[in-house]
Amino acid sequence: MSTAAKLTPTQAQPAPGRPDTLLRRALRSRRVMVGGLVLAAILAACVITLPWTLRRVGALGFDSQNADRSYMAPGAGAPWGTDMLGRSILGRCLLGGTISLSIGIAAALISTLLGVSVGLVAGYRGGWVDAGLMRAVDVLYGLPYILLILLFKVAFEPPLARLAGPQAANLLVLFLAIGSVSWLTMARVVRGQVLSLRAQPFIEAARAAGLTETRIFFRHLLPNLVGPITVYSTLIVPQAVLQESFLSFLGVGIQDPMPTWGALASDGLLPALNPLRSRWWLLLFPSLLLAITLLTLNFVGDGLRDVFDPRRDAAKV
Amino acid sequence: MLRLLVIPVALAALLVAAITWSGAARSSPADFVFINRGEIGTLDPNSMSWLQDIRMGYALWEGLYSLDPRTLEPVLGCAQRVEVSTDKTAYTFHLRPEARWVNGEAVTADDFVFAWRRMLEEPGDYTYLLHYLKGAKTYQEQFAAGQSADFGQVGVQAVGAGVLQVSLAHPVTFFADLCAFPPFFPLHHKSMEPFRLVNRKTGRITYDPRFTRPPHLVGNGPYRLESWHFQQRLRLVASEHYWDKSAVRSRVIDMLSFADPRTAFLKYETGKVDWLAEVGADDAADLLARKRADLRVFGGFGTYFYSLNCNPRLPDGRTNPLADVRVRQALAMAIDKKPIVDNVGRLNQPVATTFVPPGVFAGYRAPRGLAFDPPRARQLLAEAGYPGGRGFGQLSILFNKEGDHRFVAQIIRKQWLDHLGIDLELSGVEIKTFRVRLHGKDYAVARASWIGDYNDVSTFTDKYLSHSDNNDSAWKNPVYDQLCDQAAVEPDAQRRLELLGQAEQLLCDQVPIIPLYHYVNAYLFRDNVRGVPLNPRNMVIFKALEARRQP
Amino acid sequence: MMRYLAFRLVQFPLILAIIYLGTFFLTWVIPGSPFDKDDRSKSVAALQAMEQRFHADDWRKFLAWYPSRAVRGDFGQSMQYQDWSVSEIVADALPVSLTLGLFALVVAVLAGVGLGVMAAVRRGGAMDFLSLSVALVGISVPSFVVASGLLLVFCVHLKWFAISQWHNLGDLVLPGLALSLLPMAYVARLTRVAMLDVLSSDFVRTARAKGLSRVQVVWKHCLKHALLPVLSYLGPAAAATLTGSFVVEKVFNIAGLGRHFVNSVLNKDQTLILAVVMIYSAVLLMMNLLVDIGYVFLDPRIQVREEWR
Repeated sequence: MSTAAKLTPTQAQPAPGRPDTLLRRALRSRRVMVGGLVLAAILAACVITLPWTLRRVGALGFDSQNADRSYMAPGAGAPWGTDMLGRSILGRCLLGGTISLSIGIAAALISTLLGVSVGLVAGYRGGWVDAGLMRAVDVLYGLPYILLILLFKVAFEPPLARLAGPQAANLLVLFLAIGSVSWLTMARVVRGQVLSLRAQPFIEAARAAGLTETRIFFRHLLPNLVGPITVYSTLIVPQAVLQESFLSFLGVGIQDPMPTWGALASDGLLPALNPLRSRWWLLLFPSLLLAITLLTLNFVGDGLRDVFDPRRDAAKV
Repeated sequence: MLRLLVIPVALAALLVAAITWSGAARSSPADFVFINRGEIGTLDPNSMSWLQDIRMGYALWEGLYSLDPRTLEPVLGCAQRVEVSTDKTAYTFHLRPEARWVNGEAVTADDFVFAWRRMLEEPGDYTYLLHYLKGAKTYQEQFAAGQSADFGQVGVQAVGAGVLQVSLAHPVTFFADLCAFPPFFPLHHKSMEPFRLVNRKTGRITYDPRFTRPPHLVGNGPYRLESWHFQQRLRLVASEHYWDKSAVRSRVIDMLSFADPRTAFLKYETGKVDWLAEVGADDAADLLARKRADLRVFGGFGTYFYSLNCNPRLPDGRTNPLADVRVRQALAMAIDKKPIVDNVGRLNQPVATTFVPPGVFAGYRAPRGLAFDPPRARQLLAEAGYPGGRGFGQLSILFNKEGDHRFVAQIIRKQWLDHLGIDLELSGVEIKTFRVRLHGKDYAVARASWIGDYNDVSTFTDKYLSHSDNNDSAWKNPVYDQLCDQAAVEPDAQRRLELLGQAEQLLCDQVPIIPLYHYVNAYLFRDNVRGVPLNPRNMVIFKALEARRQP
Repeated sequence: MMRYLAFRLVQFPLILAIIYLGTFFLTWVIPGSPFDKDDRSKSVAALQAMEQRFHADDWRKFLAWYPSRAVRGDFGQSMQYQDWSVSEIVADALPVSLTLGLFALVVAVLAGVGLGVMAAVRRGGAMDFLSLSVALVGISVPSFVVASGLLLVFCVHLKWFAISQWHNLGDLVLPGLALSLLPMAYVARLTRVAMLDVLSSDFVRTARAKGLSRVQVVWKHCLKHALLPVLSYLGPAAAATLTGSFVVEKVFNIAGLGRHFVNSVLNKDQTLILAVVMIYSAVLLMMNLLVDIGYVFLDPRIQVREEWR
């Protein structure tokens, strides 16, 4: 093999408008493949067991209380142990996974929508619009995000609860609250991408050839944004799940009796880290699931980023 | 190479400097260290309502009566002698000539008049207790409305420096106990004077809260406030001028503040804390299971219950199914309280069927409450028009998310679903929102609790008077009011208890509340500690506190 | 350079004013305003005191009077801690958070850069995976789990550190470590990406061809470039870390500012919320400015202009 072939795989410009090349490249990354499989397995396990975990009775039911089975350690009778009310931790973790990942994905979608819109408008329009939007992003960056989430929750949940009931309002507000504070980085990245793409010669050439702005936008600009958008969307999911766990720790997360991994971990904290008598199973299983899933998501996100263009996005988080 | 070391050394030095700057100074060890419940809200006796604040009140002030360190019965404190008129409405207190404020000045009757007047003019949570004084209620209302109010009409008067004359609206059998309660403590007018604020528009007088801070705070109790580091530590030093100085056992007492009960427990375990006044439920249950000798669990002075909204309409305008007493009775009878006490409480709390904790008041016979009876409950629900739970509508259970209330709510919700077929949603909110909503009757079913303030049954029964500000159920029952009013003016103690017993029976039958269990208290202290009484009232008289350290 | 500094400093009050207005409206919109008659927990005395100092029996007046008071250091009376003024609370808490935050930042940067470089240099191998996993713990496991775990293992079981003490450097270690994990994760990730980028560039290949050792190439030449994005991240990271973390302060019982960020919102303590947010914003603006200046020193090719972000 000649030495010339040992170049590190620096990324050339992705061919514009050919997203399947990106997909193929993504799948070639070992990180993304393995990570993707792990995530798919976890998600599948959680979703497939829904018919059992959503029931109010039965071994896996998320709210099937049994006063006599309180705080059972993992064993024959209870695969992952039971909690204070005698409910199966396995069942609650499975349903919790569905809800946690839903919150993560919903927040990521909302953030992507918001971030991409703002970034596109700012980058494409430029000038005052750009400056104004970016200053607004700066100001929002300047407010501690937990404050924003809490204020959002405290302000919007009561009126929403009157409309849709406490349970639905609670979930909706979580999606919106977390989603609406996670879009800032996405906006910056998209704007940066749009700015640098706009200056590219092929855009000039397209314009000179007489293509309409819309066509340029959809055929040339957007496909090149798919990469970074995917990367940052993927990275928002673990961030959102972690934020939900923090909110649960504060007591303003998901409403009982619905479980999320974060809520289970925060419920399990005191009983598990008890120096006198540790009910370790309450904390171990949700934390482990969180760690594995979030690490995998982070790895996949990083892997995607390596694939899609480390050079351009090196300066951003 | 040496150049590289400069940075870490410089950093270390910077950090040490920073740590000292941020308040890390060591102080001399205290004679007694304890961890109070949570953090102190306020040290203004006017506004005190939290248990931990009231506890500290007993260290810094002393009322006309004080409490016996062991039995917590009222004993003469600042007053040396009391004369009571035959109709038991006029009290003449002769103050101890040796009673002193911590700055050495004598305690005068004017100090009491000033303090009680301030309670009426700057109302706090317990101002209603001063309405036992003749003319007090009228005065407060007139003053609040801005009309010219004559304080001379109120039944408290200083006759010379050492004599306080008090006239009550009607005989109050437990007045001595009230006099030992912080709202009735004296205040040192002169030291508060520099903090006086006059409202430019209304002319109302308030006091800048900084008067509660050392070194400005002047009390007449066994201790003075030496230092108060916000949410960290409070230091009390024995007062040189306290009349019963010789009985004060510990010269320096430190109160530590911990936001997290688990960390507080861990600190106790290191041996540096003598008394942990509030043990977290989780830890207490495990300690109890291990039969730890330093854990003291004993009956408390309050009840944990569920409050039901009795208004004809719910906050959102719908008809309130709970307005029908049969529905409320059904809800009460469909709860098996044992899992709650066994799995959530875990401290052998007594299951409650009544509001007033039984056995706490001598001579008081508890009424009969409702038992766990699901078939009868279903019958009642059907009679009320909701057979099998159909047509009940969507209601929710309100509770605050802190602590274990959510588990109780989940248990009860499941039981109502299983036994009655009604599916309530859970509405956990943060404590502030919870208090506002509970007080504003903005709920259908809510978790609640009540701890008694003074040693009389009325501290419980008064809560559900129709006009009481504490009546969170909006339950109005004229017969109940009548019985309580009669009891209020009844001079014979036994007859009085009977009347109150009848009133409470009404409470149990009409179910504006569903009692769940009675509180127990849990303390941690080792055998070398003296002076911590295991009294349901959860108070401590600081002068008796002592920790025998190894010589 | 000087002109740029002046330009940025002049923007401070404007941005702070916008943040003040934004926070003010957010906090007063939510139910539980201090003039809510239904809220018994605010004593008449506290309300009257506030009325006295801010001439505010309604929110419009409060909005107008507050800034003039605030610049004099009077942020009003706390609504939940009646006996304390906001400036007292903050003056007590801020130094503690700053100290802890400083320690945590140093740890985060040192460990994060180290781990990131390792991961980049041994890309694709076990070292990459391992170091990145360690680094990413901060954003993959909830902080309350890690903090509580550290407390239990090192304070309770091993008894290496004292609980809830604030006397010497040793008391900083555990909470500082817990606090450093989140920024460490981001720093490691940024360093890795930037290092990968730099390592594949031409001048590196030239340097290696010329015979410079790997260590020299990595540490002396590449690191500066790799640190640029880290520096950019440090602005907001420093602000967040220096103003404290709720979780760390709750678990280790440290009297810092972090708890107030959360408690003030949960307890609807409007005056404290305002003060806390203003402090955070001021620290953030200052950190961002320092970061931008730092850029110039790290890479002389960068010109400090407004558009460069």
